[in-house]
Amino acid sequence: MSIKHKLNRMKAHLNTGKGDSKQQPVTSVSQPKIEIPHYKKWEEYGAKAIFMEDEYCLIREVSYPLTHRHGKYSFDMLLDIIRIWNESDVAHPLSAKGFQADNMFFFDTETTGLGGGAGTSIFLLGLAFIENGAVKVRQHFLPRPGYEVPFYKSFLEKVNYETLVTYNGKSFDWPQVVSQHTLHRGQLPKLPSFGHFDLYHAARRLWKNKLERVKLAVVEEEVLGFKREDDIPGYLAPMIYFDFVDRNDPEAIFKIMKHNELDVLSLITLYIHLSALLLNQEFAEHEDSYELARWFSALKDRGRAIQSFEKGVLETKKEDEGLIVKFHLANEHKKNRNVHTAAKIWLETVDLQQADLKAMSHLELAKYFEHTVKDVEAALYHARAALFAVVENNIQKASLKENDLHKRISRLEGKRLKAVNGQENR
Amino acid sequence: MFRKKSLADIMNDLLTDEQYKDQISFWHTINEKEAAYAPFPDDLHEQLRIALEARGISSLYSHQSEAYRAIRGGRNIVAVTPTASGKTLCYNLPIIQTILEDADARALYLFPTKALSYDQKSELEELIHAADLKINSYTYDGDTPTSIRQKIRKAGHIVITNPDMLHSGILPHHTKWVSLFENLKYVVIDELHTYKGVFGSHTANVIRRLKRICRFYGSDPLFICTSATIANPQELAEALTETDMVLIDKNGAPSGKKHFVFYNPPIVNKPLNIRRSAVLEVRKIASDLLRNKIQTIVFARSRVRVEILLTYLQELVAKQLGPKAISGYRGGYLPTQRREIEKGLRDGTIYGVVSTNALELGVDIGQLQACIMTGYPGSIASAWQQAGRAGRRHGEALIIMVASSSPIDQFVIQHPDYFFNRNPETARINPDNLVILVDHLKCAAFEIPFKEGEQFGAAEITEILDYLAEEHVLHKNKDMWHWMNDAFPAHEISLRSASQENVVIIDRTNPKPRVIGETDRFSAMTLLHDEAIYLHQGIQYQVEYLDWEEKKAYVREVKVDYYTDANLAVQVDVLEIDEDKSNRQATVTYGDVSVRAMATIFKKIKFDTHENIGSGPIHLPEEEIHTNACMLSLNKDLADWKEERLEEGLMGASHALRGIIPVYVMCDPGDIHVYPQVKATHNDLPTIFVYDHYPGGIGLSKYMYENSETIIEATIDAIDACPCDSGCPSCVGTEGGGNSTKEDAVKILSILADRYAKGVMKHVH
Repeated sequence: MSIKHKLNRMKAHLNTGKGDSKQQPVTSVSQPKIEIPHYKKWEEYGAKAIFMEDEYCLIREVSYPLTHRHGKYSFDMLLDIIRIWNESDVAHPLSAKGFQADNMFFFDTETTGLGGGAGTSIFLLGLAFIENGAVKVRQHFLPRPGYEVPFYKSFLEKVNYETLVTYNGKSFDWPQVVSQHTLHRGQLPKLPSFGHFDLYHAARRLWKNKLERVKLAVVEEEVLGFKREDDIPGYLAPMIYFDFVDRNDPEAIFKIMKHNELDVLSLITLYIHLSALLLNQEFAEHEDSYELARWFSALKDRGRAIQSFEKGVLETKKEDEGLIVKFHLANEHKKNRNVHTAAKIWLETVDLQQADLKAMSHLELAKYFEHTVKDVEAALYHARAALFAVVENNIQKASLKENDLHKRISRLEGKRLKAVNGQENR
Repeated sequence: MFRKKSLADIMNDLLTDEQYKDQISFWHTINEKEAAYAPFPDDLHEQLRIALEARGISSLYSHQSEAYRAIRGGRNIVAVTPTASGKTLCYNLPIIQTILEDADARALYLFPTKALSYDQKSELEELIHAADLKINSYTYDGDTPTSIRQKIRKAGHIVITNPDMLHSGILPHHTKWVSLFENLKYVVIDELHTYKGVFGSHTANVIRRLKRICRFYGSDPLFICTSATIANPQELAEALTETDMVLIDKNGAPSGKKHFVFYNPPIVNKPLNIRRSAVLEVRKIASDLLRNKIQTIVFARSRVRVEILLTYLQELVAKQLGPKAISGYRGGYLPTQRREIEKGLRDGTIYGVVSTNALELGVDIGQLQACIMTGYPGSIASAWQQAGRAGRRHGEALIIMVASSSPIDQFVIQHPDYFFNRNPETARINPDNLVILVDHLKCAAFEIPFKEGEQFGAAEITEILDYLAEEHVLHKNKDMWHWMNDAFPAHEISLRSASQENVVIIDRTNPKPRVIGETDRFSAMTLLHDEAIYLHQGIQYQVEYLDWEEKKAYVREVKVDYYTDANLAVQVDVLEIDEDKSNRQATVTYGDVSVRAMATIFKKIKFDTHENIGSGPIHLPEEEIHTNACMLSLNKDLADWKEERLEEGLMGASHALRGIIPVYVMCDPGDIHVYPQVKATHNDLPTIFVYDHYPGGIGLSKYMYENSETIIEATIDAIDACPCDSGCPSCVGTEGGGNSTKEDAVKILSILADRYAKGVMKHVH
């Protein structure tokens, strides 16, 4: 029996990944002379074909004036913010120091799946960048699998990318580009090494508690003041592309391209906003000082961490929230070797409701009075208070072990006894 | 006072003691063998030579030397290596030598299980470390931390993994493994004999994909296989890798004298031919050995039996040897636990191990003095592997196989010639099984687009690629087929399960539900329907709800005094007959069939009394598979038999065949099904169907078709040799129940084997 016959009979066992197959016939594919289906529509949408031998890809360009406002900011603020980075001494992974505005490429892709691996292809590469005093969006579109060479070649040759700005590009978009490039190596120029700003990690740091999901679309709406209308959700992209490859009608693809265009434009606004926060710019209204401070703290930028924690205290609405921020502020002061200032704050934060922070405050004070002030009585008081809080609330924390506190207390009691005896002997 | 007996004393007891001597049905002695040595190869790197000498190795065994020369000469090899013959040097030596000459060279080691890769890695590292070499070897599997994965991809000289990880974790991401695939010189396939049946057929396709990716990156690795003793190591290696192999089967390792004893427990019920339980007999023999501090390994076929034996033996000898002197060893133990046990065995603090077949594979536990098998392990190769656990290089060893009442066991124990003289089993794979092939073509297309005219091993693929394009899984552009789907195909394909979708068993006795096992869909219909009592590790569970859509069975622990037995209505329809070797007496054909099965009702049966204490309906949809079958139909008119008698005879014959076929076909009894029909729909004849229990078939029934006379003759012999009066579970079973079932089954089988035509039978009753 023929293999096809068998295959059709055994369909149920073959899990082709679909239920009933569509009745769509496969379009005939090989064409001796390239005639691009619906080319008129493509042209009307601002796209042009470029050819390499008998293959082609489509490139679309759109231009926006710098005065165009996308969300909270207009694009010319990017020039300002890059100037400020260059003038500032803030050492931060997102710093654009040493860059010009036209060095930066805001980049996003659309792919045939989210699972990764060699079989996940990119079909749309979108870039936004500043050129000749305007913001340009350029999109490279793969009209069908097999035309990767013109697709990637045009993308790699045309521009001189230095720094890519992405949203989760470090772990998704860029590895995917590298993977596809590997598949066509030999036919493509070498991949240059780029700088890379991944704004997803920054966004997560600042808003993961505030936002339900730190997706770009959510950040746009909640933080950047930009609302999309009639946007096609990104997860439909693979289906729309597969349908396009079958039927060649680009209408739905245009919607994906619009979606991608808004993505890369939002990256500009997001970069402006994040930079403004990091650079402490007045114009950026926000209530993220606490998260910013923690970020500076993680980067060991003590001065800015302290500054931001102080602002963070003012941003809180409830007293106890303010005390939590103050507790971290005190830690920052301690790390900055400013124990006296820290101790003053701990004396406030012992009133915290959150038991572990309360206990920590007492413990810090016990250390401070024992080693810095050398007031054994006060140290003992705070060590006991710390122990009480730990036992009372059954706190399980490595830095607050009951045993360690007992040891501390008996050591302090020993010291006190010695001091008393010393006085008597004298 | 208690005097410690030696192994010789105990062997003497076996031969003379009343309680043992009549049960010994066969005693086979294998004499010791001297080692055959060969000097180190001339080109062997100085550091490597020094490291070997430091470990007390001053020359190679002849087979190691032969392997080295063949591999260095650019040949693919398959080395047949019994337990403890130093097989790892067969590949480690030439590979390390190559890496020392070319630091860019890479090797990929495949072990069938994760546990084995850890063992082999530590052995390899010891050698690398002793020789003070800068060679990176890493295991890469599901447990590998993300933080070191990138380093392994770029800098691992030797990457140790398993076929499943290669299939779903490495090949689909080949673009991240450029330095491995560009420089891949060797692929080691250890424990080759485990790559049979469905698993082997899948792995053969994974290797097709591996070779295809190597071609893409411009490498062409050699394949180095090692195998336990099977009949066709070279054929299997060549089928698996689709390349020519040099066979190295002259083993140079020495071995001590071995005594191989067949032990058949005494009959306790003569008319029903029921023997004393093998477990109880093993308990008796093993405690004799252990009490005398003779290091012993006991094999049992199921986890439950391991647990039972372990409890028995620990109770018996705990006082004398201490509670830790006997240990269990089975799948599911953590690597550290296993390390401890292995160490205890080597340094002598552990005297006994009770193991499932997990230890059959080449885990190094040193060599013990005695080995007891609770029942025939299912194949000759397995039996020899387990036997290989006993026997030091010097000194004697005792191996005892205690038979159970199952037909296979009784057949083997009554046919020692079969066991000792016949070739061990043949391992078969069918990489071109359509279901398996299509699965891997999808994976391969995901990895690299297919070009027209491209080869995929020996498979015929153009039509399949066209079919996948019609199904919109691939897209054809010019002369290339591209993956056009948002799925990640390797994640949906398991190399091991018999059918793609297994039913997961979830225990929700405790607030936190946990998965306790899985089973294929067909078995689930009768084992996991609503209200079924499911036994797992000796614990009773009741199925609360079988979610057929989601393939999940929710169970809860119970204590009841009954078990459930479900009725499965099976309908076999012949779709197409491909081959026919009928004779005057019987119609023997091979072809495609559709098997439809539906669970109808279940009964609750009380333990001990076997009373039926209730029943209920099962509401599950019909399941269908298309597979291959060998069809055995009787032409001869047995018109004088009533339908009932014919049915009982067919059932008896099927029962006996079910026991013998797996012995010859070398497969798990669950992989091949035997189903009788008094009047088959395709030819109206009394027919026995023997079909592969896997969609598309994996070549088992094909082998049955090709060897039907031999297998049926062996089945008749087995029935004839059974001492029971009129049928017992060891021969034709008791389902038939008729007085003449045994006789009738032989008659039916004789017709099917065409005995009459050959004049073997003098007359027909």
